[in-house]
Amino acid sequence: MKQLKRIATYVFLSIAALVSIFPFLWMLVSMTNKSVDVTKGRLLPGTHLLENLKVLFGQVDIMNAMINSTIIAVITTFLTLLIASLAGYGFEIYRSPGKDRVFSILLISMMIPFAAIMIPLYRLFGQISGTAPFLGIDTLAAALLPTVVTAFFIFFFRQNTKMFAKELVEAGRMDGLSEIGIFFRIYVPTMKTTFAAAAIIAFMNSWNNYLWPLVVLQSPDKLTIPLLISNLGSGYTPDYGVIMTAIVFATLPTAAVFFFMQKHFVAGMMGSVKG
Amino acid sequence: MKKQWFLVLTVLSILFLAACSGEGSESSGDNDSSSGDKASGDETTSITAWAWDVNFNIAALNIAKEHYEGDLELDIIENAQEDIVQKLNTGLSSGTMKGMPNIVLIEDQRAQSFLQAYPDAFFPIDDYFNTDDFAAYKLESTSFDGKQYGLPFDTGVTGLFFRTDYLEEAGYTTDDLTNITWEKYIEIGKDVKEKTGKDFISLDPNDLGLLRVMMQTAGAWYVENDGTTVNLVDNEPLKKALQNYKAIMEADMVKANSDWSQFLAAFNSGDVATVPVGNWIAASVEAEESQSGKWAVAPTPRLDIEGAEQASNQGGSSWYVLNVDGKEKAAEFLGETFGSSTPFYEDLVTEVGAIGTYKPASSSEVYATPNEFFGGQAIVKDFSEWMADVPPVNMGLNTYAIEDIIAAEVQNYLKGKALEDVLADAQAQAESQLK
Repeated sequence: MKQLKRIATYVFLSIAALVSIFPFLWMLVSMTNKSVDVTKGRLLPGTHLLENLKVLFGQVDIMNAMINSTIIAVITTFLTLLIASLAGYGFEIYRSPGKDRVFSILLISMMIPFAAIMIPLYRLFGQISGTAPFLGIDTLAAALLPTVVTAFFIFFFRQNTKMFAKELVEAGRMDGLSEIGIFFRIYVPTMKTTFAAAAIIAFMNSWNNYLWPLVVLQSPDKLTIPLLISNLGSGYTPDYGVIMTAIVFATLPTAAVFFFMQKHFVAGMMGSVKG
Repeated sequence: MKKQWFLVLTVLSILFLAACSGEGSESSGDNDSSSGDKASGDETTSITAWAWDVNFNIAALNIAKEHYEGDLELDIIENAQEDIVQKLNTGLSSGTMKGMPNIVLIEDQRAQSFLQAYPDAFFPIDDYFNTDDFAAYKLESTSFDGKQYGLPFDTGVTGLFFRTDYLEEAGYTTDDLTNITWEKYIEIGKDVKEKTGKDFISLDPNDLGLLRVMMQTAGAWYVENDGTTVNLVDNEPLKKALQNYKAIMEADMVKANSDWSQFLAAFNSGDVATVPVGNWIAASVEAEESQSGKWAVAPTPRLDIEGAEQASNQGGSSWYVLNVDGKEKAAEFLGETFGSSTPFYEDLVTEVGAIGTYKPASSSEVYATPNEFFGGQAIVKDFSEWMADVPPVNMGLNTYAIEDIIAAEVQNYLKGKALEDVLADAQAQAESQLK
């Protein structure tokens, strides 16, 4: 009886696993097929992989887009972690009269959809372009700056800081560390898992970000990966084999970041729920 | 007490922000254009163009560049069509022309909404080409307020693509499919399905493109010729089209699809016998090389209404010049290539397979080249002849909005609601929504 139950569990799990893995598998298989075979739904690996790669690296220049996306994602992740963790730490550790009000206004800002602030933002960057062209429209800086600090990450860090033992701050002060020193030497090392979880989310958000880079980036040499894939699919006769190959390349970095930090990620998310 | 102060402060700051933005939009509009002038003023020979599809529109731009004799640096930027719409809307409504291109490709069905919403953002190009050289139906959607803004590009003239082998198996020849009505089309479809087991057409139930194709054969649209008056209740062509649509859906000859790739697969894998859509599908049909010689194209079936033509249109787009620095150069470039050059259109059709709407080109010998995939039929010549017959319609601003309403009502119609009620309800909804 017990064994039967076990078998049933495994059968169920296998089916569930297959269902969730299937799109990924299909993507890998389609990478090796011709466009016509992809639309027909062919499930066997084909022989077209080299041709697809050739188009992707020769005609489309995916390398350039990968580099742009990497630059944007890495800088965004770094700045997000730095600023949001400082803010979250400050909100939780220091006492100040209007603190909670400021924080609730911050949370309200989470409810404003990006589409609503996009046009003013574009206007803003359009005006900056005149005086500071390195920050203006059609620069990588413009693509990443509005996404660097979000209320979500400040909230995320504040919630996690609740778990942080405040006695450590006191101890640091007694031992003569400056406030900044306490943050970097005591807080950051103890909150490693929180930083890892935030890093994964920030990296993924930035890597997949579509709307704002689309609007603000203009020249072809500044394309990011999601924009490149969108262009590939825009033709009257899209080459689905090449698109699938591009998607594989688009998925690899986020998958790598996730697997690399998986352990911390799970711990970090648990922390934020418990806190 | 404290709380109230806080509220007052918030309200004040919101008002302050709102006031700032209102003021700014007028004064800085001028600033922006002047700074734009400065930025690109010293390099007038360099212009930027936005378009989608590397193998079609962008390839066409590249050929145009080769044919242009003046000094010009053309920077072509590829963006998906929806992305261009998004970028234009954001850029134009933000009031800053910063980052906007000189030339942009816009789908004909969307053109009017851009021209009406941002009339100052576009540059009229009447003086740069002769509008009489272009298919009449195309001028209707590319002009606004008596001025020509768009340079007509590709035609979406439709044809009835069909599998000659399946039709033969059921006992039909090409002549049997030529110059027929949609009623006859359905009749043949049922017969072919019975005799060969193959479906006759592939349709996406959420896409009413076929309805528009049928309607336009009789020169009708969802709106009257002013482009704004919703015209559904007394729209005889629409009624007929809906009846045909229902008959097709009920005749067990439809292979349903739910997206573009499934639609392509339906005929690439040989599951359907006919594809009545725009000529741009030819490249996708030809992609399945094993079916070479098994296809032909007949004129679009017409609605059974007096005066209906054997021609209709689906899609197509045109080039627009934005009102930024370099506009004269951009208009001149378009005028000398897309606007007046037969050799350009000859190269366009041989190298890209794109058929323009420039009428003088259709008498070119290149257009008469037989196409082996289509059994030696000179499909380009056929398409460009049908193109001249496409009845012009004013699509107005709200094609997609009205179609969403109709799409919901069509489901009720298929379930048995009376046609008069369907149209009356759709009319009422559309009128209240589009007020």
